[in-house]
Amino acid sequence: MYPITDRHIEYILTDLRARGITIPDLQQNLIDHICILIERNLGEEQDFEVFYRSVLPSFYREEMAEIEAETNFLLKHRRPFLLLSRGQFLLGLFALLVGPFVSIGVMCLLRTGRLPLEVWGSTLIFAQFPLWIWIVLAFTPDRFDPLLPTGAKVLISRKPFISIL
Amino acid sequence: MVYSSELIKGTLKTIILKLLADNKKMYGYEITQRVREVSRDRIQITEGALYPTLHAMEADGLVTTEVDYIGKRMRKYYSLSPAGKAATRERVKEIAAFMQTMATLLDIQPKTA
Repeated sequence: MYPITDRHIEYILTDLRARGITIPDLQQNLIDHICILIERNLGEEQDFEVFYRSVLPSFYREEMAEIEAETNFLLKHRRPFLLLSRGQFLLGLFALLVGPFVSIGVMCLLRTGRLPLEVWGSTLIFAQFPLWIWIVLAFTPDRFDPLLPTGAKVLISRKPFISIL
Repeated sequence: MVYSSELIKGTLKTIILKLLADNKKMYGYEITQRVREVSRDRIQITEGALYPTLHAMEADGLVTTEVDYIGKRMRKYYSLSPAGKAATRERVKEIAAFMQTMATLLDIQPKTA
């Protein structure tokens, strides 16, 4: 087993930086991986640098910076927080709009034994929005869907929060 | 026969999730070797595909990490988070169904031992 020293690690780190690997976590992962390959495949009398240069091309197609570019790409296009079907999304929207009124209505019923006009009136009004959307969607073909197309994303800041399947 | 990288790319996350589910915690090199061993060299995960995926999985909260130091060298161990465990179940189920569909679609008869 080839003995890896701090000088070797420093050498690999400097080289990785020069090749465009700047994410510290990625640098450390690659250093460990390269070190294991060297320890297991290089004889004690063999040349470290020659072996290092020969092993590195197996990590990339054209250049080492591809690994960092791929990492950044995957981090940028991370999966959304929630994946919902259109039905689930509308059900959630319906619950969000109508839920508070239903809760207040139940509380009123429990306390006073009757449901005030303002409560059930507001519930009906707010319930209409998701219901109308649902009706339009139900009669709109998938390939022409101006309201809630498949693959739509609900964005919160720059990252999709909900993706509609 | 080594499978093409196009085939492996779509399943890499599932492979890593399942390995971590079976092995508790693993580091990068260990994952590549285990995949080679289990697949009898038919699947070779490249470092260029593995580490970006592991980083994305960590950012997505699917894996948790712990670090071990070997002198100046840092070794990062990956293990499944609760969300990762749930994702493993979902993805394995999904890929099993997908394989069945593909077998039907391509008219592939399963080999009997």
